[in-house]
Amino acid sequence: MLTITNLQASVEGKEILKGINLTIGKGEIHAIMGPNGSGKSTLASVLAGREDYEITGGSVDFDGKDLLEMAPEERAREGVFLAFQYPVEVPGVSNTNFLKAAVNEIRKHRGLEPMEPKAFLNMMREKMALVEMDQVMVSRSVNEGFSGGEKKRNEIFQMAMLEPKLSILDETDSGLDIDALKIVAGGVNKLRSKETSTIVITHYQRLLDYIVPDFVHVLYKGRIVKSGGKELALELEEKGYDWVKELALEEAVV
Amino acid sequence: MSEVMTLQDKLVKEFSLLESSLNGQAQSPVHAVRKQALKRFAELGFPTIRHEEWKYTNLMPVVKQDYALTLQAASNLTKADIEPFLLPDVEANVLVFVNGSYSVALSTIISEKGVEVMPLSEAFKKKTATVEKHFAQYADWQNDAMLALNTAFSLNGAYIEVAKGAVIEEPFHLVFVNDSRQSSTFAPARNLIILGANAEATVVESAHTLVSGENVGFTNLVSEIVLADNARLNHYKVQNDVEQSHFVGAIHAHQEATSVLNTVVVTLSGGVVRNNLSAVLAGKAADTHFYGLYLVNGQTLVDNHTLADHAVAHCTSNELYKGIMDDKATGVFNGKIMVRPDAQKTLAYQSNRNILLSPTAVVHTKPQLEIFADDVKCSHGCTSGQLDDESLFYLRARGLDKEQARALLLYAFAGEITEKIELEPLRERLESIIAERLHQEFV
Repeated sequence: MLTITNLQASVEGKEILKGINLTIGKGEIHAIMGPNGSGKSTLASVLAGREDYEITGGSVDFDGKDLLEMAPEERAREGVFLAFQYPVEVPGVSNTNFLKAAVNEIRKHRGLEPMEPKAFLNMMREKMALVEMDQVMVSRSVNEGFSGGEKKRNEIFQMAMLEPKLSILDETDSGLDIDALKIVAGGVNKLRSKETSTIVITHYQRLLDYIVPDFVHVLYKGRIVKSGGKELALELEEKGYDWVKELALEEAVV
Repeated sequence: MSEVMTLQDKLVKEFSLLESSLNGQAQSPVHAVRKQALKRFAELGFPTIRHEEWKYTNLMPVVKQDYALTLQAASNLTKADIEPFLLPDVEANVLVFVNGSYSVALSTIISEKGVEVMPLSEAFKKKTATVEKHFAQYADWQNDAMLALNTAFSLNGAYIEVAKGAVIEEPFHLVFVNDSRQSSTFAPARNLIILGANAEATVVESAHTLVSGENVGFTNLVSEIVLADNARLNHYKVQNDVEQSHFVGAIHAHQEATSVLNTVVVTLSGGVVRNNLSAVLAGKAADTHFYGLYLVNGQTLVDNHTLADHAVAHCTSNELYKGIMDDKATGVFNGKIMVRPDAQKTLAYQSNRNILLSPTAVVHTKPQLEIFADDVKCSHGCTSGQLDDESLFYLRARGLDKEQARALLLYAFAGEITEKIELEPLRERLESIIAERLHQEFV
């Protein structure tokens, strides 16, 4: 589904990603872990098309298409979804209207007619239940006045509505208490399918108790320094990120 | 300079012609005010940018045009001509003025109980005592040339007097048409709106210019509003006029105890547009709300000068003006809050927020707080900037293209003002005009 080859990116002349290689197959969940400043969120932003980053090398293939050539909205329409680390408040735009516009844009891209209002409302109701969103939250302006947990739930709700092929969860666990974490993780798990893939970016192992990954990658100083199965996350938790730094040093020596 | 004098001279000359046509009324107290006002206008002359209040709004190019003064001319406009200016599907009192003259044929008055509504020219005769009590009492023309001019030519406009305790459900739509198809026309009009104690009403004012060729229209519209104890008025001013139209107008309100004034001024297009708005909070716990939206492009200039004048204690004023400017449009906001020595426990808020969509669009914003009481809460703030990149990216990351995302954000920005309009058909109409323009012109 996604093949990242030697991806390099910088911001304001500072190189952040120094050659990322990663292949994500259909139906897989990959966790990307790493200490602060390792480039995790940059990777998420670059994949979603944030314009603050300059791609200095490498390529990203998404289902046979050059992802880096696409505008952010094209990526969304092709099926890439980024759950923001810091979801933006959009006063004056109701969640419902926003989602209607987004869903219909994505449908248009897939050659489908806009959804009938009734079908749309039914879909909303069904997906709201996944993350325990209530009607009041949905009719409010996008994220306006939402708590940290509500914002993250709203991200997963949007993800459920837009039915992406590839979801990138950028530190979706940050700022969540355990109850909110369970709700969010529960939503993600219910959306899992053989056809869709997920990248879970996180600093902590905790989230991975609830969203169990197929693969874990450790990012450090803009490179993936170690990959493994889900047990790698536990090992990291136990040994701490200093261990990763040592690994990176060893690799450099080798 | 000599050209500048032309319109002024013409107006002075026109005034003497007008006097001769007034017959008996030339001796009335109202006409005595007109005469003094004309004299004052002649002394002051049209304001130039040297005048502090007109620093960013240059009227000289407007005044230099050659205007006809067809003050009492009959109109040949038909109902079909003015249809686009009316609100759809509303049972409303509609008073239509063409080049300052009342058109019986185009007007419809439906409210019968609790209100006396008529052209001001008629009120001068039928409601002489009430008119004399209020006319030119709130709009201080001594220090304002444009107000002096309007007062001198205050021959017609709308007169609305809502009786004590009457709640008038049907809105009053005052439609001012400047018909400049034959020649560029200067059209003055004057409204007097009086609400008795506990009375409630809704007034919509809109100005529309018809032009052909190189002609331009110049409209000068002033409303005086008096709210007795506990009266409540919703006042909406809508400006969506042609580029070849200029507008200088004012609303001067006087509020008694616990009265509520809600004003919304929406400017969507025009040439040079100047709106003065003032409310004197003269009775305890009076409450005034000023909302404004200017969404303009091209070369349109919109200048809003407001004054919330707290004269007594326990009053509240709340003001929010928002602007979206594209191309070479200019916005001016000057918001003054005056808190007089007796006005303890005043609550006064003011905010002006602007989005500039092009590097050639300009906004001049200036809050002015003059506070002479010590136990008050006043705040003000202004912002000018571009659309937030992070919000744009967020919407695009959900599949909306850049133009859609921009339009949606701008629409929401404007929506904070339009949502203050309680008259639903008006709000819906404005919202649809705004949505359409954001998708077509502000991309």
